[in-house]
Amino acid sequence: MPIERGLQYLRQMQRVTLKNLPMPLEKTLKWQKAHPDETKIKAIMSRKGPISRNALPPYGIDPIQAEGRLPWILTVPKEPYYEGIEEARQYLPISLRTLQRLIDLRRINPEKPIDLPVLCNTKLFSIQPDQRQFGLQLIDEGADLFSTPINLEIQWVASELAIAAIERCGGVLTTRYFDPISLSALIDAKKFFERGEPIPRCDTPPINAVEYYTDPKQRGYLANPDSIREERQRLAQKYGYKLPDPSKFSSLFRLKKDPRQIFYGLEPGWLVNLKDQTILKPTDSKFQTFYHS
Amino acid sequence: KLGIVDLHPSIWQTSPRLDILYENIEWQKTYKKIDWAYTPPHHEYPSMRGKPWPQKGTGRARHKSKFDPQWKGGYKVHGPKGPTSFFYVLPKEKRVEGLCTALTVKLHQNDVHFVDSLDLPTHQPTYLQELAEDRFWGPSVLFVDDTDIMPHNIMFASAKTEGFTLMPVYGLNVYSILKHTTLVLTIRALNKIEKKLLHALHSCDNPKDQPAPPDEP
Repeated sequence: MPIERGLQYLRQMQRVTLKNLPMPLEKTLKWQKAHPDETKIKAIMSRKGPISRNALPPYGIDPIQAEGRLPWILTVPKEPYYEGIEEARQYLPISLRTLQRLIDLRRINPEKPIDLPVLCNTKLFSIQPDQRQFGLQLIDEGADLFSTPINLEIQWVASELAIAAIERCGGVLTTRYFDPISLSALIDAKKFFERGEPIPRCDTPPINAVEYYTDPKQRGYLANPDSIREERQRLAQKYGYKLPDPSKFSSLFRLKKDPRQIFYGLEPGWLVNLKDQTILKPTDSKFQTFYHS
Repeated sequence: KLGIVDLHPSIWQTSPRLDILYENIEWQKTYKKIDWAYTPPHHEYPSMRGKPWPQKGTGRARHKSKFDPQWKGGYKVHGPKGPTSFFYVLPKEKRVEGLCTALTVKLHQNDVHFVDSLDLPTHQPTYLQELAEDRFWGPSVLFVDDTDIMPHNIMFASAKTEGFTLMPVYGLNVYSILKHTTLVLTIRALNKIEKKLLHALHSCDNPKDQPAPPDEP
């Protein structure tokens, strides 16, 4: 362990006092000389010439030395290893092991449906919609340990084992897409309500994700419920377990969301007033058709 | 020796981050600092009119006023202006980690001692000094107790000796821990410190939503 080695050094070395502490790199003269401030550079350099007048030519192009040769920036070929990274979607991982641990430590209530805001309130995940993060994905580490029935709503699942582990205990899994505006409302619900904006309606997923969310094998929210039931039977036969009775559980357990709905029990278009403990609903037919379309 | 004390590893066995200690000490020194330097600018000087001597004729250099910057006693163009404060607040996580690393440093260099209570039989300072010498406690000792009100005898004894200071738990800071060579804690102070630090390490509410930290032992 790196901590152990540090403490080993501590035991052998001199006593740490006010005068013994090391100065941070940024305060030494050597570093400051290598990293001068912009104001210092401007004071030192000449006031004339292309540098001070922002008129330098682009890199690698020198008309005198080129003599017909290409500049090096055009001779080196392009190797786009990371093409498409600006449009790629990221999902933060959550494993079945952490889920089981949170339920055992009573940080999550398994009798109510488990949602994105419930998992974000544990403050274990920091989802940043600016960084193209679109939610959480389920990972199959700890599939043997998982043993509680839950109603889980997650944004991406990559392995069948995870789906099987949840359904073996009698749980329900749906994959759900949230666009960045509704994500920022879900991550910190209290902050969103304090802003005083009406609840947004969730957009449809992008074209390269529609196939995933209409697939019954991934339990997408836009898929046919009959085909989902078929897939549940098929998975049970493949992995060798019996599907428990769904009639045992309470009605809370079987709550499901509309494709445009974000919060359980709240419809899009409503304004929540925390201070007066009221909810304002739109009465105009224009707004109602927009939010319920 | 009375017994064995259990210590929590999150506080007493963290990584020895000396740079966080440096930042804490820098903060403690500079957040109180106010720079009172003030040089009056151009418009706060006496009248600027009048050439000191005519342009030509005298053999001296040409000047327009007596208070230009190149003159002795002249104004300064971009000098310090008025009281400037260096106040800033270190983030809470760094302050908490600073305390934890200071305690681990002291523990692993054999400079922490735990004591039942700070009661002494006499108020003579020689008694305390000889006790500290026998136990190899260094030249300066920091006694930390639960409350502000300390027993009489140790008060008189430490007032007379140089280097011995008494401190309640709410006054604990990184500068004092590192300045004194040894730390002496009472068991009640230990419990209070651990409770407060663990609460600060593991709570993730915003400062507005946070309930008041536990004060009572």
